[in-house]
Amino acid sequence: MSSEGTSPDSSVGIDRSRRQFIAAAGAAGALGLAGCQGGSTGGEEAVTVASLNPMTGPFSSLGPGQRTGAELAVAEINDTDDYDFEFELVTGDTETEAGAAQSEAQRVVQEEGAEFVFGAISSSVALGLNDFAGQSEHIYFPGGAAVPITGSACNEWVFRFETNTAQIAEAISAYSVNNLGNNVWFHYADYAYGDSVYNRTSRRMENASDDYTEVGTSTSELGASNYGSFITQISNSDADVVVLGMTGGDLVNFTNQAADQGLTDQMAVVGPTQTFQSVRAGTGSNSVGTFGGARYDPSLETGDNQAFVEAYASENDREPGNFARVGYDSMRLMAKGMNEAGSTEPGDVRDALEGGTFTTVLGDITLRESDHQATNPTWMAELVAGDGDTADVELLEQVPGSETLPPASDLGCEM
Amino acid sequence: MVAADFIEQLLNGLTLGMVYVLLAAGLSVIFGVMDVINFSHGELFALGAYFSLSIIAPFGAGTGFWIAIVVAPVAVGLIGAAIERTTVRPLYGRDPLYHILLTFGLVLVINDGIRLIWGTQQRQLAVPEYLSRPVSILGVQVSVYNYFMIVFAALLAVVTWYLLNRTKYGMIIRAGSQDREMVRNVGIDIDQYYTLVFGVGAALAAVAGIVLGGYQNVNTGMGNSVIIPAFVVVVLGGLGSFRGAVFGGLLVGVVQTLMRAYNGSVVATVGDVTLSVPNLEGLTVYLLMIAVLLVKPQGLFGTRGEESESEGEILVGGYGGVLADSTRVRLGGIAVVALALAPLAILFMGDQYYLVVLNEILIWAIFALSLDIVMGYAGLVPLGHTMFYGVGAYTAALVMLHYSQSVFVVLLGAILICAVLAWIVGSLSIRVSGVYFAMITLAFAELLYSAVFKFDFTGGSDGLLGFEAFLGFGTIGASLSNIEFGLLGYELGQQFVFYYLALLIAVLSLLFARRMMNAPFGSVLQSIRESEERAEFIGYDVNRYKRRAFVISGGMAGLAGGLLAVSPSTVIISPDQTLNWIHSGEVIVIALFGGMGTLYGPMIGSGVFFGAEEFLSSYTDQWRLIIGTMFILFVLFVPRGIVSIPSLVAQRLETANNADGPVDMDEPEVRSDD
Amino acid sequence: MTETVLETDGLTKRFGKLTAVDDVSLSVADGEFRSVIGPNGAGKTTTFNLITGALSPSAGVVRFKGEDITDVAPHERVGRGLGRSFQITNVFGGLTVRENVRLAAQSVHSDDINPGEALFRDKNGFDEIAEQTGTVLEQIGLQDRADEHAEALAYGDQRRLELGLVLATDPDLVMLDEPTAGMSSEETQATMNLIDEVLSDRSLMLIEHDIDLVMRVSDRITVLTRGEELASGTPDEIANNEDVRDAYLGGVRE
Repeated sequence: MSSEGTSPDSSVGIDRSRRQFIAAAGAAGALGLAGCQGGSTGGEEAVTVASLNPMTGPFSSLGPGQRTGAELAVAEINDTDDYDFEFELVTGDTETEAGAAQSEAQRVVQEEGAEFVFGAISSSVALGLNDFAGQSEHIYFPGGAAVPITGSACNEWVFRFETNTAQIAEAISAYSVNNLGNNVWFHYADYAYGDSVYNRTSRRMENASDDYTEVGTSTSELGASNYGSFITQISNSDADVVVLGMTGGDLVNFTNQAADQGLTDQMAVVGPTQTFQSVRAGTGSNSVGTFGGARYDPSLETGDNQAFVEAYASENDREPGNFARVGYDSMRLMAKGMNEAGSTEPGDVRDALEGGTFTTVLGDITLRESDHQATNPTWMAELVAGDGDTADVELLEQVPGSETLPPASDLGCEM
Repeated sequence: MVAADFIEQLLNGLTLGMVYVLLAAGLSVIFGVMDVINFSHGELFALGAYFSLSIIAPFGAGTGFWIAIVVAPVAVGLIGAAIERTTVRPLYGRDPLYHILLTFGLVLVINDGIRLIWGTQQRQLAVPEYLSRPVSILGVQVSVYNYFMIVFAALLAVVTWYLLNRTKYGMIIRAGSQDREMVRNVGIDIDQYYTLVFGVGAALAAVAGIVLGGYQNVNTGMGNSVIIPAFVVVVLGGLGSFRGAVFGGLLVGVVQTLMRAYNGSVVATVGDVTLSVPNLEGLTVYLLMIAVLLVKPQGLFGTRGEESESEGEILVGGYGGVLADSTRVRLGGIAVVALALAPLAILFMGDQYYLVVLNEILIWAIFALSLDIVMGYAGLVPLGHTMFYGVGAYTAALVMLHYSQSVFVVLLGAILICAVLAWIVGSLSIRVSGVYFAMITLAFAELLYSAVFKFDFTGGSDGLLGFEAFLGFGTIGASLSNIEFGLLGYELGQQFVFYYLALLIAVLSLLFARRMMNAPFGSVLQSIRESEERAEFIGYDVNRYKRRAFVISGGMAGLAGGLLAVSPSTVIISPDQTLNWIHSGEVIVIALFGGMGTLYGPMIGSGVFFGAEEFLSSYTDQWRLIIGTMFILFVLFVPRGIVSIPSLVAQRLETANNADGPVDMDEPEVRSDD
Repeated sequence: MTETVLETDGLTKRFGKLTAVDDVSLSVADGEFRSVIGPNGAGKTTTFNLITGALSPSAGVVRFKGEDITDVAPHERVGRGLGRSFQITNVFGGLTVRENVRLAAQSVHSDDINPGEALFRDKNGFDEIAEQTGTVLEQIGLQDRADEHAEALAYGDQRRLELGLVLATDPDLVMLDEPTAGMSSEETQATMNLIDEVLSDRSLMLIEHDIDLVMRVSDRITVLTRGEELASGTPDEIANNEDVRDAYLGGVRE
């Protein structure tokens, strides 16, 4: 059955003993429930699903979006008759720290009995949860964008609806080098995400144009707060374009300081996550004139996006961002997988999700058989002056899903 | 061009440096005058920025910014003064250690308060349009806001300098920061000035928060991100020295910025050898701090002699207690039996997660015990103790990945590497004492924390994955994840095996430490805690004893870290999980909370801390606020920790019974028990 | 002649511009009771600290039992037989009286304790140390209070314990820094009797303010002013020394 890792028979062992505990938990509550395991037989069966998001720590401005998206999906799933089960949502705070995330994951899986888990943003946390899902054999939908999550660290229990860095790099690389300028500077934060932006984007740009020149690179530490020195350095170079391999607070600080020091007027500032709501909120008008890859925009007419935007806006008084749509559709994909499988047993759902095509807010996407990555389209966008304090996103070009995703073997996934 | 470039970088450095100056000035004077290590300074800094957000919102950036920069610091200053009056004041005369527990609690409370009121979304602090545009002077292009920050902060620094040097209040405060006793002796009630100093320090921090918020953004982590650099500045400059704070702030700002700008750039080529600036961003300031402390232990401008430093009273938990020794041993035995039976209860409840929590408690109990050996017995307060926990965990993971999966080999490796590390760090840092020792160990820990991000073999920011432990030697034994056996029809798995392994190691560690403290070596450690000078003059090589205690403690903390890696609940070892300074703070807090100097107290502290966290977080998102409040109340009312509660209760009862013979509640005869 | 136990040669200590001890050359004979007197700021305590190793000299040499100990660490000087007491009571307040004395006795025997024993053997299981502890407790008359915490003792008893700590290290030369400071005249008398009783077979060096006391008990007296040695001699010689009278005795006693 299972073919993961070093000790195939051991995982069977865990599986059996773990199920025993879940059975025992059920028995403690209501005798006889243990027998129901594995069947989606009629009525309103409750399936425990979990959403683990960074509510504190450096990513705490992004976590709540994931959480509200997931909550909306759960409410909708429980309201419609499309599914003959109910989702019971349990939540946890990953604190952007692998240790806390591990213990939260263990809590929701072992104490609450969740076998379907969504969440995490930082790559380290997502990788930890990946591994845990592989060990305890439950479905996991990561929220992080780092390539290794469905790349070198992929496993059969992990499915990703979030668009990964490689896909975004595809979107911004060709457009930038062909339309914004050939001389490119890379500035990236010195950690997994930043490194992967640099590697992907520079390689793609090289393929996209013969005139491409890498003018220079600079790196800062994750969480650095003062970018003045880099901006000066970049501004004094011959670059036409600067690509930023950073996100969250780092990107906000860089963008604000770049605008103050006049870099934004001088050259094209391109950040894969520049269009994120949280980044726009943190930068205000300072991000006007910068470019970014877009994984999502509420204005999209793809799939059932408009219905989602409407529902989300009426619940939360604002439009959803990328993290909300990831939370929303990750939960819906779990439910759709269960319907497809006719079962709420993780193993069955896994088989149904693998290679399956589903309608999402991004249109019909496939969870690729080879690495379980969703074949999302991506967009190149420019930030323009908006009505309020924050900049608006103007989509410049769509790159279809089929073109954004390199083969799984390229990304290092062997399942 | 090159010159202009350099000047721009220098301006950037000065901008950051001025923020550090504002932060460090308050921190340094607060420490100098009242010996308070104020961890909450960073949160007061953040509070300044958040107040400004609320003030700017109705007025708009144009006028709102200027209103905010006046009103918000005053508001934060008042909060600072209130904090001093209600919580810091009762602790004067006690060791600065207690301020760590107190201000750690304040950090939790203020930070959670901010999240409750303003949310977790990062915000932009709007500054007037004319400040946030680039300006070019003689080919040097930076933002107007850079100039504004430098000039405004410099102005404030000059005003502060004037107040300190040219007014009567200032003279007294300055004198107090050099020699408190002397000021008292000339008949001045220096305590009256504390509220003022604390309030002004908080207000300066708030100003720093506002100007930096306008430059970057406002978020809930901003306090945490500046507090360690601010401490570095204070220590570099010399505790209590305003001049030092100014110099240290600018130095750290400029060095950080220049290292960033020129890292990896080629300096010169000599023949075939290319000299380039090594990529040391992040490491530089800590290396600088270690170097300065080794050469000039009191910092660059420090004036305080060793004599006047940290003479406060350390309240250890262990003084016999109302329970007899035999009772205590029996209680300990009962506790161990209860812990040994706990998995069975968990088994019948069917919730294996509690075992995960118990495992975490046991690991931290060993970690806290290791700290107690140096803190509660040798009187050393390391603010970087998590370096051993982290290095132990990394060592264990690396050993499992590359050499051997045997639990015994792995743990032995973790202990040995950490003992060696402790010997090196100890040899360098034990020469400095008190707060400087705390800070130099912090610098070493931060150095290691930054370093693991830089190396491939430590997995960078992701950490290490994919290791598994094996219970046995060579080929004899079983993989932890493979182990299962049946009991009463239930299958027992790896969590159980690990739990008993951890419990066994925790009990053995406690017995080892107890034995050691009752042996000649441990008795000398206790004498050092009581009076280092006296111990020296009855013939003990105090530094050698301290260093050995540090090595034993480091090895034991490494054991705890190794257990973390071996634990089946651990699938990844990452930098923040193991080496972030916050864990050094946490372990001190846990040891104090449980009752230090008792060995078992810190272990109980671990249980109560994680138990409370687990319990509270399942009921409310504001659990940090509650735990923080709990710390504050404990440090005020139960300073000897949880273990002293039985004797406190006994004392209350006695007081109630003896209406005619009142017992002074403050007398130091509060005793402890378990 | 009797041998010299302690000798200083050109001992000098400068703090910045201030010279606290200026070229002091002393010689204490074996078995001698030497007192050092002088007005406040005369450099008595600094001299004391230079001899015990709490401070290191700017210039000059300290010789103890014929060996140069100028660069020897304080704890090692104790090991070689140079004991000291403190002006401000400095005992291990949180430990029992017995443990205080035992620690001092253990220090003398620490060479006999191997590393394994040091870590694991019960500290009370060493017979020689226990025996010595008992003897010292008896000598200082605190055997009945041996199990009390030192900080619970009355001031006078704490001073006795202070002496006990010195005694337990079995010194050849005992440096006493105002052992009767802050005592009533009865307590002072009792303490001096105690010193006489338990330390009379050792060389003694006493720093004292109380001139009458010094005149009564000392074999020889050294007078310091402004860091310099003004005079040395027997109590009679000192009492009759003009310089001393002018510079010190007259001034202080009015």
